[in-house]
Amino acid sequence: MRRVARALAWHELLERTRDRWVLVISALFALLAMGIGLYGRGLGEDAAGALTGPSLVTLAGLFVPLVALILGHDAVVGERERNTLGLLFSLPVTKAEVVLAKFSGRLVALVCAVTIGLSAALLINQQGGRFLLAMTGQTLLLGAAFLSIGILISTLFQRQVTAVSVVVCVWFLLVFFYDLSLLGLLVISDGALSQELVGGLVLSNPAGLFRVQMLAWFAGEEVLANLGLGVGLPGELIAGLIWTGWICLPLLASILLLNRARS
Amino acid sequence: MKTIELSGIEVSFAANHVLKGVDLHCRKGEVMMLVGPNGAGKSTLIKVVLGLVKPQKGGLIVDGQPTRPNKDFKHCLGYLPEAVAFPENLSGRQVLRFFASARGLKRRRIDEVLERIGLIDAAKRCVRTYSRGMRQRLGLGIAILSEPELLILDEPTGGLDQQGLTVLWSVLEEWREKERFVLVSSHDLTLMEHRIDRLCLIVAGKVRAEGTPAELRGRAGLPIKVDFDLFGDGCRVHLFLDQIRSWDRVSSFRHEGKRLMVEIPPDALLELMNQKHLDEETVSAIRVNEPGLDDVYESLLREVS
Repeated sequence: MRRVARALAWHELLERTRDRWVLVISALFALLAMGIGLYGRGLGEDAAGALTGPSLVTLAGLFVPLVALILGHDAVVGERERNTLGLLFSLPVTKAEVVLAKFSGRLVALVCAVTIGLSAALLINQQGGRFLLAMTGQTLLLGAAFLSIGILISTLFQRQVTAVSVVVCVWFLLVFFYDLSLLGLLVISDGALSQELVGGLVLSNPAGLFRVQMLAWFAGEEVLANLGLGVGLPGELIAGLIWTGWICLPLLASILLLNRARS
Repeated sequence: MKTIELSGIEVSFAANHVLKGVDLHCRKGEVMMLVGPNGAGKSTLIKVVLGLVKPQKGGLIVDGQPTRPNKDFKHCLGYLPEAVAFPENLSGRQVLRFFASARGLKRRRIDEVLERIGLIDAAKRCVRTYSRGMRQRLGLGIAILSEPELLILDEPTGGLDQQGLTVLWSVLEEWREKERFVLVSSHDLTLMEHRIDRLCLIVAGKVRAEGTPAELRGRAGLPIKVDFDLFGDGCRVHLFLDQIRSWDRVSSFRHEGKRLMVEIPPDALLELMNQKHLDEETVSAIRVNEPGLDDVYESLLREVS
């Protein structure tokens, strides 16, 4: 990474560590994760694995997208509102470097928040390192995808308050409403909609893909059939492509939008 | 860099033609000021120089060569945006440190700049505790951090107190002395009047007038104001008053007690001083007031409209 981009990424990380909203939500995530860890530990060794993992998946599936979207929502619109976007672009740096540096700096902040929360919970619950690694890795992919979406939203709007509103709507839509609406569609269509299609749609949503991958990891692939998804766990290549798409495409769109826009 | 020119700049946003063939020549060691009504295209012109807006026609010419505002050019650039704000949770030093590291400058330079802009004692405080003037000084500090060849200041006087203005004047003076380029956009003509070398009036996307303040004063042809302190109301004073009142070059005549205020064309000053009854027995003091740049601006604006 070039000097300017490196400096910007570091500056972004520093700024995020001072952002009280990020700190509050990260602390809340860590506390809840630790709570789950303590509860699982109290139930005994057998119940611990069966309960703690899925509970942490649910918690991370709800919180991490929100933390990531909040981290990303002001990346560009914040600079625009402060009138510093021009100042930033007056530095010897390209717009692509600015977007990537902002993403990198904020991703490091997200990594810290997620790792601290999950590590605390899993250490309390005395889970193994492999479990921690898998959980953290998947959670970070989920976070990176939503961070990327947050940055795109931040590029699209002129006012931070609009970006915040859109971010909340996107979180609600992708994390809650999407699965429910697919379920609703399945019921309404009375079998006309194939289970494969619904399953494919579930997996095309980063929040859905995260849940399915993690549940399959904890309980085996047969759990997907029990859930009526009608599709198997996507292969590593397909899953990798879906994650790459969700992480890279919004960033690419942000760069294109910034190159077209008058700052 | 020896010369910086903008040649035939045309910028349109959809059907809105913001700049319609702007030519501008920045000279070394001169402070060039852009003036014009809101929406005239000044900020867009600055954005063209910064590379934030790509013109449909025309471009930047540096040392006679067409140049794109690329990274090399930006290395020579310092910019103070209008009404700039910074991350509230960072300290002034942290904000400066980011820009210094982005430009590859040593930490010592941060202290030098903090000292210069008068924020060394407030360097560790969060920006949210800064007044508007202090934020503006921080913005100025960022602009001068790398001692750029071209300094672009958008409304630099906004919110500055006397101490801040002194810093700004010293920066302009230094850049002038070191034969660098300064481009200022401001509405504050009264404050900037004695600090600039050239003025460029932009109206509706076109350069309508350009020159030194003296040249533009001459073009505007506004009357100069002459203020006399009179000795009582004796006979000679009355003769002097009658003579001035009846003089056909006086465009405005106001007599209040021991004070006389007249307006005459700039070329009539010598003639006025040679009036028959103007001597030490009639007048105790004379003050000559040239029209301010704000008056010149208003006049030129009326002329081009």
